[in-house]
Amino acid sequence: MYEILEKPANKPFEFYAAYYPPIYAGFKATTIDELIEGIKKVDGFSIFYHVFHPLFSSHVVPEDMSNDFATWIRDELGDRLLAQKVSDIEGKEPRTVENVREDLIKILSEARISRTANKPFYFITCKPVVYNTERVAKSLAEFIDIIASISIRSIAYHFIFRRIIGYEDKNDFSKWIEDNYGLTELSKKLSSLDPQTYTDEEMLREDLLKIFEQEMLLK
Amino acid sequence: MIERYAEIIGENELDSIFKIAEKLKGLSILHVNSTPAGGGVAEILSKLVPLMKELGINTDWKIIRGDPEFFKVTKSFHNSLQNGLGELSQGAFEIYRKWQEINGNELDLDYDVVFIHDPQPAGLITFRKKGKWIWRCHIDISNPYQPVWNFLRGYIQKYDSVIVSSAVFARDDLKNPQFIIPPSIDPLSIKNRDIPEITVKRILHKFDLDPDRPIITQVSRFDRAKDPLGVIRAYKLVKKHADVQLAYVGSPAADDPEGEIVYRETVQAAGDDKDIKLLMLPPNSDLEINAFQRGSIVVMQKSIKEGFGLTVSEALWKKKAVIGGNTGGIPLQIIHGVNGYLVNTPEEAAHYALYLIRQKDIREKLGRAGREHVRRNFLITRELRDYLMVATLTLGA
Repeated sequence: MYEILEKPANKPFEFYAAYYPPIYAGFKATTIDELIEGIKKVDGFSIFYHVFHPLFSSHVVPEDMSNDFATWIRDELGDRLLAQKVSDIEGKEPRTVENVREDLIKILSEARISRTANKPFYFITCKPVVYNTERVAKSLAEFIDIIASISIRSIAYHFIFRRIIGYEDKNDFSKWIEDNYGLTELSKKLSSLDPQTYTDEEMLREDLLKIFEQEMLLK
Repeated sequence: MIERYAEIIGENELDSIFKIAEKLKGLSILHVNSTPAGGGVAEILSKLVPLMKELGINTDWKIIRGDPEFFKVTKSFHNSLQNGLGELSQGAFEIYRKWQEINGNELDLDYDVVFIHDPQPAGLITFRKKGKWIWRCHIDISNPYQPVWNFLRGYIQKYDSVIVSSAVFARDDLKNPQFIIPPSIDPLSIKNRDIPEITVKRILHKFDLDPDRPIITQVSRFDRAKDPLGVIRAYKLVKKHADVQLAYVGSPAADDPEGEIVYRETVQAAGDDKDIKLLMLPPNSDLEINAFQRGSIVVMQKSIKEGFGLTVSEALWKKKAVIGGNTGGIPLQIIHGVNGYLVNTPEEAAHYALYLIRQKDIREKLGRAGREHVRRNFLITRELRDYLMVATLTLGA
């Protein structure tokens, strides 16, 4: 395995990164029904923002709810069980924001809560601002080193955003590894990581690196 | 200068700012507001504009002018937008329009991107000749006095984008994109950087405060929205149990003619208590404010209405537990029980102040969490990047 680490890739991997400035979507919800209506109405970027962006929230509080909908249901509607269900919604490959939207609507529609929230849920959407980090991996060894040190914004862009928004059916890392090195097992393991359940950005990086370690260094 | 932030925010964060700024190279940006000093907006611009220039963006900052009558009108706009109550003098809209026209004719507004800050210069949009215009609203407009909002909305709708400090302030009756950008503090400024303990003590002594006895401080204008009378009441409740001192540190602002009246009301409420210091410091008293915040056992921002309340982040950055009013942008900065306490009444403020005075460990734990919360979310480098991104997206670049 060690030889392959230094083998030059056919196509080097260029690392981009993105920030997602939040934009008010123009409506809010104070009940579950209004929340469902909002989820039906908003664009895919809004689903991404509320479900996956909390990875970057950088809270000083240990966060046991992995997305904004779940946090609101727990804190403002006071339904912990429903909040847990919404928090644990599946976001791994090959799912997109549209699958997540469908699941959310299904779970919320089955809930029977007539309560009105203490504070409204403000629907927010976003537009990505993408930039080239100018870091390029010409081999797997360089690739792993860059993953270990690059901005988490770059990891999220390639590993989460482009796939979940529907630009690609697979995350950029798995795709590059498969296309350049034919390492399907490593590619699959990366794909099996569900980014939706992470609320600590560095934990996501750590788990990605663990997969590289297990598949490339320990075998 | 900008490289100096790397040790606080990390190389990756700093690199993102340089990379995003490249998208705006060769373009011109103008910021316009109503005062060169005093208040949060002038303070942010005094840092943000040089940083934008350093990134290679041609950036200018211009101030509109007006007479006392105009600023009385804009103050009444400010109040009625924030508290929902009408306080309009006769002919207010005409006076506002007159000064927009004067400034619109006097100022060169031909830039690629123009950021107009707050309602005072919002009407300048009528004089746009080119470029993309962005209205940056620093105050709470979620529950405005409708006649004033309807008047201003006529101008705001003409902007390409709007920026509000929190989603809570966003409006359902605007069609423009409303970006959500909280303001920020500069950790390297005289107001926020580390200073020696002896400097803190020297300044406290200068203002006749005893550094060896607990001090509660609130730094804000003498403005009813900041509830100076509530602060006095909270202090008096604490005083029944502990030998505390109160420093209410205000500063005059050119666009706030009401400040003097509220100051006099506060003096009256303070009575003859020698441990209450009501200070009206000149706008450049940053070192003094730094010392007051660092020298305090508890910092308050007991606003009943607030745009954002940057003094909260200033104090959190200095590892102080903060007691803040549960309003505006304060709940974004204070996580109740984690880095401070959110309160609705002087009695609650007094309760938590006393608790913090008695619990050193809790104070320190909350203080550490507060600094990290600010480091990650409320530093000027984050706001700088946000402005660059809003300009980029508004330009469609």
